[in-house]
Amino acid sequence: MPVDAAWVLFSEKVLSQILVGLSRTTILFIVASGMSLILGVLRIPNVAHGSLYMIGAFMAYSVSRLFGGGSQGFWMALLLAPLGVAVLSFIAERALFQHLYKREHLMLLLLTFALSLIFGDLTKLVWGAEYKSVPVPQIFQGFVTIIAGFPLPLYNLFLLAVGPVVAVSLWLFVNKTKIGKISRAAAVDREMVSAVGINVSLVFAVVFVVGCFLAGLGGVLVAPTVSVTLGMDHTLIMEAFLIVIMGGLGNIWGALIGALIFGLSQSLGILIWPQFGIIFPYLAVVIVLMIKPTGLLKSTW
Amino acid sequence: MKKSLLLVLGLFLVGGLFLPVTSHAAQTLKVGIVDTYTGPATAFTLDVLDGFKLAADKINAKGGVLGKKIEYLTRDDKFKPDIGLNMAKELVMKEEVDVLMGTINSATALAISDFAKAEKVPFFVTFSKSDKINMQKGHRYVFMMSEHSEMAGRAAAEALAKKPYLKYWIAGDDYEYGHSIANGVWKHLQKLNPKVKLVGETWWKVGEADFTPYITQIIAAKPDFVIVATGGSGMVNFQKAAKATGFSKNMPFYQHTAIETSTLAPQGKNAPEGVFGTANYLFYYPNTAENKAFVEEFQKAYKRYPKVGALYGYLTANFIAEGFKKAGKIDKEKFIDSVEGLSLASPVGKIAIRACDHQLELPMYFGVTKLDPKYDFLTAGNIQVVPAIDYMPTCDEVKASRK
Repeated sequence: MPVDAAWVLFSEKVLSQILVGLSRTTILFIVASGMSLILGVLRIPNVAHGSLYMIGAFMAYSVSRLFGGGSQGFWMALLLAPLGVAVLSFIAERALFQHLYKREHLMLLLLTFALSLIFGDLTKLVWGAEYKSVPVPQIFQGFVTIIAGFPLPLYNLFLLAVGPVVAVSLWLFVNKTKIGKISRAAAVDREMVSAVGINVSLVFAVVFVVGCFLAGLGGVLVAPTVSVTLGMDHTLIMEAFLIVIMGGLGNIWGALIGALIFGLSQSLGILIWPQFGIIFPYLAVVIVLMIKPTGLLKSTW
Repeated sequence: MKKSLLLVLGLFLVGGLFLPVTSHAAQTLKVGIVDTYTGPATAFTLDVLDGFKLAADKINAKGGVLGKKIEYLTRDDKFKPDIGLNMAKELVMKEEVDVLMGTINSATALAISDFAKAEKVPFFVTFSKSDKINMQKGHRYVFMMSEHSEMAGRAAAEALAKKPYLKYWIAGDDYEYGHSIANGVWKHLQKLNPKVKLVGETWWKVGEADFTPYITQIIAAKPDFVIVATGGSGMVNFQKAAKATGFSKNMPFYQHTAIETSTLAPQGKNAPEGVFGTANYLFYYPNTAENKAFVEEFQKAYKRYPKVGALYGYLTANFIAEGFKKAGKIDKEKFIDSVEGLSLASPVGKIAIRACDHQLELPMYFGVTKLDPKYDFLTAGNIQVVPAIDYMPTCDEVKASRK
């Protein structure tokens, strides 16, 4: 498909793809911001992040079934499943992580890698191999046509609303709460923070659990739009990593910008070259890193 | 002195490792199963395994094959061809299995097929869909229990050619399966209806989670009909996005296995209606005593409806057992001779393995998804049966492809 001149930039097609791309961005941002948070403070790329996202989706399936599988089921899942993931990550943190904070970083990295494998098999044990599906809640079934001829699923509209809410909550957590401020300080200078008598280990625990909560939340939000399957963690972990690298390691706002670039380059790339829509987000990553090898925003590393 | 004694002892020990272990006859008929038991493919492969187990247990309860019980060993290839090949080697060299079976991954199937040819071990492919397996790269030792993409394509083209659509769009998973399904449908559709034209294509990466941006782009192009070549978890993902965007209401589309239980059951009553699809097995059709008996048996054992994989596994066990019985002894070459053209009763009627390409002649069902008061998920309506002979490549075509 040849691309016409500048008017294409503002055509209905493009606007519609931007709207659709933004809803995908929401999920990517929620998951990547949690990853970025952990990366900034604990200094480890949490490889198990994708698995927690997957477990969040499976928990959403179970909770939604428990409450009859309708709209009520979805809202309960939205409430309970991320908490479930948070509890799981808290147990993992207290049982395993906290003993390794004084050791090499590599140890922590290996631990998250091991956990990702364990969680993957655990998911298969608990939920089996069959595909699962969480229905779209009643109020979000159907679509709206904001732009003539281009349907936008109502659920995507809901995701568009969720994104800013999560972003603002995160901003409040990091900037307005005591623990957020301490964790920012710990990200910059760990020794100093423990020198003034703050229990760094506890700060790490809180940050880790919040980050994992976000992974779970992403899993719940994606569940109604896809089939919940084993292996859904792999696709996501790659994308989340790239977004975090693109935005600047450990920088939450970087994760937001990275997710935007990733999501939009994909949805707009499809318009330019539908056979190769796949490559555009990755191309974007390459371009960004060529211009700014450290990522777009200031890395906390 | 001591040193040389040790050396001699050591040599004996090492030599002992290479002694042939065939000193006593095997007590069992050994089947080695290599398949993917981690990740999303597991949703399909466990059906094959359970179907196989169901039949094997039944055969064993009746005294086995030629007085030997069927024993099966499973190996997880983690969806990786190199691991799969190593597993197959281990099963043949170390475990000395009599028959190999498995793999949902076509690349793995092709790798193991080469090895099976070199080692002269019969290999039953139970879920891979690449037509290369028993067409271009077919040989005496490989058997195809699943329909290959070329066949699925022909069956769908037979049905689509009778429909009034002219402007087609192709969209699919960007890997071999996606492309070969799409090519299969398109090539034959063009032959059957020269008026059709392709207005565009969309390809996304395997495992794509959100199809909405792709769907909106296809809607913008306004084709008459879309051939959607997805597999695995892409089946459900695409249907969910098609329903959410209203695409399934306004744009007719076809997916191979759209009407399969594995695609429809997980979505409950929320799956889109009116999607065209093909499948090799439906537990509620044909409504015959044989099919009902099989479904009941499977449900009793595993508390779920059998899906197409269950039929592949069940028939593989039966063909292995009957093949050796007909051969009269556990001999691989005689076994192959006796399986060629062998025809057995099955849940979907009497079925044979064709001699020229070792393809199981399963009928194909073409239908449309619809709500069904009998079940809490959608089923296929307007079912047309395409007999195997109508959509299999001819033996001449198979021969030509191997030149």
